[in-house]
Amino acid sequence: MLSSIQNPRLLRLSTLHQIPLRCLQTSTTPVPTPSSPQPTSQILRIRKSLLSRETTAVEIAKTFLSRLRRTEPQLKSFLYVSPEDGVLKQAEEIDRRIQNNEELGPLAGVLAGVKDNICTSDMPSTAGSKILENYTPPYDATAVKKLRENGAIIVGKTNLDEFGMGSTTEASGYQVTANPWDLSRVPGGSSGGSAAAVSAQQCAVSLGTDTGGSVRQPASFCGVVGLKPTYGRVSRYGLVAYASSLDVIGCLGSSVADTGIVLQAVSGHDKFDATSSKQGIPNFASQFIPKDYLDSKPLKGLRVGVIRETLVDGVDPDVISSLQRSVSHLEDLGCTISEVSFPSFSLGLPAYYILASSESSSNLARYDGVRFGNQVFADELSTLYGDSRAEGFGSEVKLRILMGTYALSAGYYDAYYKRAQQVRTLVQKSFRAALEENDVLISPAAPSVAYKIGEKKNDPLAMYAGDIMTVNVNLAGLPALVLPCGFVEEGSSVLPVGLQMIGAAFDEESLLKIGHIFEQTLQGLLELL
Amino acid sequence: MGSRAFMVLLSHRGAYINPSANAAQLFLTFGQSPFSPVKKKCLVERRNHRTSHNFSTAANSSLEPPNLPRLAETARISLTPDEVEEFAPKMKQVVDWFGQLQAIDLESIEPAMRADTEDDNSRDDLPQIFENREAIIKAMPSYEEPYIKVPKVLNKE
Repeated sequence: MLSSIQNPRLLRLSTLHQIPLRCLQTSTTPVPTPSSPQPTSQILRIRKSLLSRETTAVEIAKTFLSRLRRTEPQLKSFLYVSPEDGVLKQAEEIDRRIQNNEELGPLAGVLAGVKDNICTSDMPSTAGSKILENYTPPYDATAVKKLRENGAIIVGKTNLDEFGMGSTTEASGYQVTANPWDLSRVPGGSSGGSAAAVSAQQCAVSLGTDTGGSVRQPASFCGVVGLKPTYGRVSRYGLVAYASSLDVIGCLGSSVADTGIVLQAVSGHDKFDATSSKQGIPNFASQFIPKDYLDSKPLKGLRVGVIRETLVDGVDPDVISSLQRSVSHLEDLGCTISEVSFPSFSLGLPAYYILASSESSSNLARYDGVRFGNQVFADELSTLYGDSRAEGFGSEVKLRILMGTYALSAGYYDAYYKRAQQVRTLVQKSFRAALEENDVLISPAAPSVAYKIGEKKNDPLAMYAGDIMTVNVNLAGLPALVLPCGFVEEGSSVLPVGLQMIGAAFDEESLLKIGHIFEQTLQGLLELL
Repeated sequence: MGSRAFMVLLSHRGAYINPSANAAQLFLTFGQSPFSPVKKKCLVERRNHRTSHNFSTAANSSLEPPNLPRLAETARISLTPDEVEEFAPKMKQVVDWFGQLQAIDLESIEPAMRADTEDDNSRDDLPQIFENREAIIKAMPSYEEPYIKVPKVLNKE
């Protein structure tokens, strides 16, 4: 499957897989063909091999753990890795349940990474910041609780830009994660660790968070699938808040089906999150039809709108060609393609940064060195605050807090924050109108492929500009799916390009169905090459 | 933060260097209160300056550029002079970029607080016992049952 393509270089470093992963290694090795009418999903394959007793949960866990250990020194995707004996003990429990024919959760035996800004009561949760070094939360986030209830084994906490503020993991207080496709390049961010971990198969799936594109852009850079649900679909209880009106928890996996199955597990109303929705959860997993059972024009009648403002100057021409090829592929599948225009599109970016910095200046006020986190000695209370925060926060976080403080100060609120909220209304209206004429909207996930580590570090505006494809979706609170749609050669590297599909509020079902069909049939095309 | 060799204080008398400073940390402060001698633990006691009487009014019709020291005070982050120097141009750049929102006509557009929301989703206001009180206490840097310890709040002069 296209989305489980691994970096050939990294594959040479790893030993043989025990589980027959679908990998496209190089153009000279034969591509495995579908062996059974199972949709391509690692979670479903794991389940099948467990239930058929072909393998055990312990063997699967050992394979992933060994790969994780081998690749981690170069990738640095994890801030914390669960001790092996704990992981194997959970796997043994699953094997025991299988032996006794007991019921298994849908994620039984699936190793998952969790982004470190999502609270886990048995593992440190630092949000990528020194101010929370060694902090262990007193409770599990609802999403983590649900993963565990469904049988998943949490293998560790993944690296991120501090508090979610960044697009590369270079702003992490601890380490920079490398892109498995080219170790000198960024994996994207802020969920860079989560994306890299899935891309290198250090774990099968992972949770990330998306405030302005932080699940989708790293999914694009790392060649994996990233799903951003509708705002309110997944509880934010236990998510370290960055911008409360924009944050969502999202899923990353090596196939569309996997992200759908994880979404199913973590969705739902939560009384501890007043913004979580009471909308019913459809059976997301039910539409993952195996490729062999698809009609010849399986997406006939689907109206797809291409966002014109995402195919302009400043977007990498290779990314645009990948998108155009995806459009052709969608047409072959039966879609009707049209172009949509969003006049207020480019305003979304400054509006987003005003809203996000403002909300973060308020959300990060709690890190004062008093009730949790690192405390710097001081003789006087406000010095304690000032110094603890100065030592604990990195530069990007300080900058954003200061920008937010500025935008919210007396006399400036109307000029910045209020206007940004008005732009949000415009963006919401534009999307609503476009989604009346179209079932789904598409664009690239990012204006470029993964760039070199250090390339944009000192130029904030250049880095912010990379979020242009993704922020409007957060302003509108809509769901979006990113999946690999092509590759770009840069020097000796082959780098993935992600296609973004945006759906109507709470319509993850359509996105998953379309994404799954696109993904499955695209691989068929590759097999012909 | 690296080590600093000196401490700079800005006051209404202008900047001066305190020769007795032996600070491991350096921060910028402003104010009319006298600078206090350095404490043994190499941290300089910073006089907290109340903003009430020293602000220039923000009620000008034109937007003033960011005043970093003042913002840092409001945000309770002790910035070093290096940081002020580093952040000021970046902030100016970003704030100018934010300025493009001034140019558009947003008359009669309702501000949206967040994505479309459902009706009141609050849970009942009933107290519940939180099971893991020990973990909360364990996370506190300075705790002496039943108090969370913090340094004193100095009286303002």
